[in-house]
Amino acid sequence: MSATAAEVKSAVAPVTGASYEAVRAAAGNDTAERAVVAFCCRECAYAAADASANARTPLPPSVRLVLVPCSGRVGPLHLLSALAEGADGVMVAGCLEGQCHYREGNFNAIDRVAFVQRLLKSVGVEPERARMFTMSAGEPPKFVAAVREMDRAVRSLPPLERRPACR
Amino acid sequence: MPLTDRGRAILQRLPAGAFSSVGSTGCEIVRHDELCVGCGRCATACPSGASSRGDTFDVNQLLDAPEDSRRGALGAALRRIARHDPAGPIPVPERVSVYRTIVYEAEKCLGCGTCVRACPAEAVEARAPEVPA
Repeated sequence: MSATAAEVKSAVAPVTGASYEAVRAAAGNDTAERAVVAFCCRECAYAAADASANARTPLPPSVRLVLVPCSGRVGPLHLLSALAEGADGVMVAGCLEGQCHYREGNFNAIDRVAFVQRLLKSVGVEPERARMFTMSAGEPPKFVAAVREMDRAVRSLPPLERRPACR
Repeated sequence: MPLTDRGRAILQRLPAGAFSSVGSTGCEIVRHDELCVGCGRCATACPSGASSRGDTFDVNQLLDAPEDSRRGALGAALRRIARHDPAGPIPVPERVSVYRTIVYEAEKCLGCGTCVRACPAEAVEARAPEVPA
């Protein structure tokens, strides 16, 4: 006997619904929308994110994943544009130090994130809004912990104010 | 015309500023930092070491850059979220090579204009030397 569409829906819906509510409750009473853009290296962090999704681990609803071939692809313009266009925090997730598949892309990313932090600090924006995390492909819990930590850090800050883009 | 390797070797053997006693025979070099893209070609080409890549970056270079340039795009994004004007130059991490302010030391400069020819962004200008009356 094959399951009808209604049966499938009722089997799936409670699981996703419950986990989403659980995440919402964990986020506390702060209902202001926040957004965290996570640039994830294809070789490590994105694979970890994929594995954590397969295990149905709930991620904070604020996070948006962006797949990049290597964390070394991410430059200051990616991070600052994300912040200027609506993100409250940006994170770069790459391989463990010394384990970059392109040899030193994650070292470049670490220094670029540090540069962006100093840029933000010099214009009076909290440097914690940009952060770098490293993990291996086999560490989905570490990825989830990084995303939750970033979400918590952004929620502890006021929403980022923006001026309209001048044209 | 770019210097030959032999010419550069000869110049590097001279102490910096050796030509200062000659007087203003060379061009006057004027840098337009808001147009600079930070490629460092002037520093590589400079025979006397007057131009070099510094360890700090002046954030105003992003804010003043032309709008259609990459630095201009960075500056526009930064201006949208900035809470106040940039507070002085910032130190640059080791692996960030492009976002560095070029340090120009006028007393070492020969006025040869090599940096002007090397610059892809027309950020370095050579003016004719003032002829003493």
